[in-house]
Amino acid sequence: MSVEADARALHRRRRWGKVGRYALLTVLAVIVIFPIYITIVNSLLRPVDITRQPPKLFPTDPQWHSYADAWNAGHMGTYLKNSFIVTFVITTGQVVTAILAGYAFAFLDFPFKRTLFVVFLATLMVPFEVTIVTNVATISDLGWYNTYAGLAVPFLATGFGAFLMRQAFLTLPHDLRDAAALDGYGHWRFLWRVAVPLARPAVGALTVFAFLAAWNQYLWPLLITKDDKLRTVQIGLKQLQQVSIDQINITFAGAVIAVVPLVILLLFFQKQLVRGLTAGAVKG
Amino acid sequence: MATTELPTGTPASAPAPPRPLSPARRRLRRRERGLAYLLLIPSLVVFGVFVFWPLVHNVYLGFFRNPPFPGLPKHYVGFDQYREVLGSQTFFDSVKTTFLFAILTVPAGIALGLGLAVLAHQQLRGIGIYRTLFSSTVATSVAVAAVVFGTLMNPSVGLLPWLGLTTNPTILQNPTWALVAVAVVTVWQTLGLTFILMASGLQSVPDELFEAAKVDGAGAWSRFWHVTLPMMSPTIFFAVVIGTIFAFQSFGQIDILTQGGPLKKTNVLTYYIYDTLQRQSDPGKAAVLAVALFFLTLILALLQIRLLERRVSYER
Amino acid sequence: MRGWQRWLGSGLAVVVLAAGLSATATVAPAGAANSTTCPLDALKKAGKPIQITMWHSMTRQNEATLQQLTDRFNSSQSDVKVNLVNQIDYVQTFNKYKAGLSSGDLPDIVQLQETDQQQMIDTQTVLPASVCAKADKYSFSDFLPRVTSYFTVGKTQYAMPFNTSGPVLYYNKKAFSAAGLDPNTPPKTLDDVRADAEKLKTSGVSAPLGLKTDPGFFEHWRALASKTYVNNNNGRSARATKTVYDDALGRQIFTWMSGMVKDGLATTNPDLGTGTFDNLLGIQSGTHAMAIDTSAALGTIKSVLSGGTVSNVELGVAPMPAPSASAKGGVLVSGGELFMVNKSSPAKQAAAWKYLKFLDQPDSLTTWAIGTGYLPIRKSAADSAPMQQYWAQNPEFKVAYDQLLNGPNNVATSGSVIGNYTGARDALRDAENSMFLEGKDPKSALKDAGSNATSAIDDYNSKIGV
Repeated sequence: MSVEADARALHRRRRWGKVGRYALLTVLAVIVIFPIYITIVNSLLRPVDITRQPPKLFPTDPQWHSYADAWNAGHMGTYLKNSFIVTFVITTGQVVTAILAGYAFAFLDFPFKRTLFVVFLATLMVPFEVTIVTNVATISDLGWYNTYAGLAVPFLATGFGAFLMRQAFLTLPHDLRDAAALDGYGHWRFLWRVAVPLARPAVGALTVFAFLAAWNQYLWPLLITKDDKLRTVQIGLKQLQQVSIDQINITFAGAVIAVVPLVILLLFFQKQLVRGLTAGAVKG
Repeated sequence: MATTELPTGTPASAPAPPRPLSPARRRLRRRERGLAYLLLIPSLVVFGVFVFWPLVHNVYLGFFRNPPFPGLPKHYVGFDQYREVLGSQTFFDSVKTTFLFAILTVPAGIALGLGLAVLAHQQLRGIGIYRTLFSSTVATSVAVAAVVFGTLMNPSVGLLPWLGLTTNPTILQNPTWALVAVAVVTVWQTLGLTFILMASGLQSVPDELFEAAKVDGAGAWSRFWHVTLPMMSPTIFFAVVIGTIFAFQSFGQIDILTQGGPLKKTNVLTYYIYDTLQRQSDPGKAAVLAVALFFLTLILALLQIRLLERRVSYER
Repeated sequence: MRGWQRWLGSGLAVVVLAAGLSATATVAPAGAANSTTCPLDALKKAGKPIQITMWHSMTRQNEATLQQLTDRFNSSQSDVKVNLVNQIDYVQTFNKYKAGLSSGDLPDIVQLQETDQQQMIDTQTVLPASVCAKADKYSFSDFLPRVTSYFTVGKTQYAMPFNTSGPVLYYNKKAFSAAGLDPNTPPKTLDDVRADAEKLKTSGVSAPLGLKTDPGFFEHWRALASKTYVNNNNGRSARATKTVYDDALGRQIFTWMSGMVKDGLATTNPDLGTGTFDNLLGIQSGTHAMAIDTSAALGTIKSVLSGGTVSNVELGVAPMPAPSASAKGGVLVSGGELFMVNKSSPAKQAAAWKYLKFLDQPDSLTTWAIGTGYLPIRKSAADSAPMQQYWAQNPEFKVAYDQLLNGPNNVATSGSVIGNYTGARDALRDAENSMFLEGKDPKSALKDAGSNATSAIDDYNSKIGV
């Protein structure tokens, strides 16, 4: 075989390798995305067409009104508003408490620091379901049953957030604080003027995380709300799930409505999310 | 140098190494203490009221046999209820199901996430689109996933009969397959997160390592086995610990898809707690189960840290 | 690691110790009772309008009709304004109600599942409908006897009936014709179902019967044979303490169900979770040719079938097949019930009664029945022109109504009252599933169902101290 033929064969193999790789990636992407795709399709079909065999994979006559039905009859509009309020409060709360606690663990010395840090980490090992029996009672005793406070307050602090912020603060140069102190910066000013701006990536990551977790809460809102005025999107989905089969398209429209805000969020904050996960796992 | 930081209290997560104190700092130490506690108080109040107090209170509630609804006297029965509940076949089966669910979801989820991450970790035009698609399920919630798959898995109208994949009894009613089905939903729903985690872990592995292995004549499989996997072990370790904790907390998908059935084959502990509390209206029994779930999570996390940590390669 | 493990260990020890020490608290005794008087006059004296709240458990479609009726009521007078609150489903509603028993956050009217009757009575927070009826000289004589007898426990009618349905057999007439069966002669007994299923199977229907594992069906079959379900006359002469269905009839039904599934004549679907409608969807897709389900699903399945061209399905509706041709009994009342809560102020209680009377007016019931598929539970509502006209156009909607008039009214057809109905039904469902899914033999499955249900009943009774 000549060198030339050899090179040509190698080139061909490379090209086919590339095609193969694209093919594999595409097949996998289709599999991953398919459930989301079919949900959008189903939301636009007539119920009778959703249950057709073989399934319809494209809405030839899209029924946009199912979104209006989910929004109005399914109360998804109100639920979205509630989800936003609760998620906003929880996210803000978690970020603030995490910054404060993370700062204390990273920059201050105090007795029982190690013990308290373990206490913070230990909260990660308490599944939320473990606490519901008592927490429902606590919330009603506080008079917060069926209120935004009841939905949000139990989640205003997390061990994970404090851990993440501590890690972020620890990566800042050690003498930064001393230099700032010489400039007359107190801890409070140093925290908000220097440390937080420098730890912006971690704050961003925590924000996205907290948002995701709060938005997707399911069990707690189910337990702690008692009317449509306070229910969140996820509970709305459970309700829509119970509509009968002749309105199944509305359930799918509801699912899409519940997902859209997160898609928008992630389009903007993908980088923060990636960074946050990296910070949680590996610190290089 | 990379060090692994775990949210579970490994030696690596000990407080920062002591730094030399300047005189100014020394003087401020006292005020620092006050400030430190002040900064911690918001978190500690929340944890105290909504995490640790329920833990204590659960143990207490478990000593009482509750009436089916409030207003009637409850009876102190000491450890009887603990013995009864924890010794029951239903509890044993539920623990088994919970572990099985974790085994079905965690390794598969990590393998898929890592696989996709490795595939997406190459220089190809448009790879960013694939990365976005692979991470897309991060936008879904368990409720959304359950609603979506509930229909996909429908025995007579969904996709499965079309693909010729039918079981008898139908999949969500099948004692063998129901838990697998719920696990599939869970793996899909968490795939986006796992992918992002793995992909970013992969990105922090220096490219020179792969290049060096390539030069040494290592094939793709060998490179994966001898370079990728060891370098990714801290990330994988993190994913195992967190993934298991997540798996032990799964609830929504089971509530929407199977409600613990058929024959309690998907009755994981969290659902069992919810069912006991809500459908059976028995807070005392639910409290006992909650105490059990706490200790199981704790023991498991500690075990994992002990067993896995040794195999994790920290050196790069 | 050691250090913090030790810390955690000692911390937990403290937790357990503290819990043990504090476990000596006392609890308040119960002193409440269901009302024996109805404060009718309070409405006149109170400042108007009186706002009352009803917690309901209706799906979104049915909620729309309920809201329509409520709007009609609110605008028809100025004394009472009713506010509807959707609690998602019956289980959630009762849970929220129970939570309210300690927090005080209770509605003025609550809609519960028919099986919650005894437990609601046990909460001692009911203003019984019959108490107000007596004070108001309101008569239930126009109501279907099966309905009033279901809701009467120990001479008191606690609940106001409203949304009532019954089980029917749905079948595909075209599949029947294709199998050489008369599409207008649906099976009348369980043996008929089996015989028809065999023919349908031969003609190519893969699983002729869609058998939902709804434990309620077994209860209906007991009633259709005039046999009780629990002791003490179905719990109506005294509190039920055990199940009585482990007998020849019980074995016949269990053996029949098991045989249908084993021989490939039926497949099962759950009555909880997402699979609830699989039996009906199976008729549409051709997997099944028959399914038993509530009449309340009729509107749904009709609208699915009419929504497009499903040419191979023509829906037939028939009474629920009885265990045998000689069985002289009738189906039970299924659905919901409305309770007035006696924790509300007298004026609100009187207002609640006024609203419930409105909901059960013949014209309201007609609107309700046509809008939702529930049954008109008064003779005059059934006889009304709109209802008759509706039935003339949609005869299949009348099947469940006629069925409710059939058979004697005795303790068996009145249905059982059990405090822990959830536990009793769980036991029955688990037994059926162990038969269908694990191949357990019908005899021992039935025995397990009976004894597990009895211990669930026992457990409840001992907890409330009876």
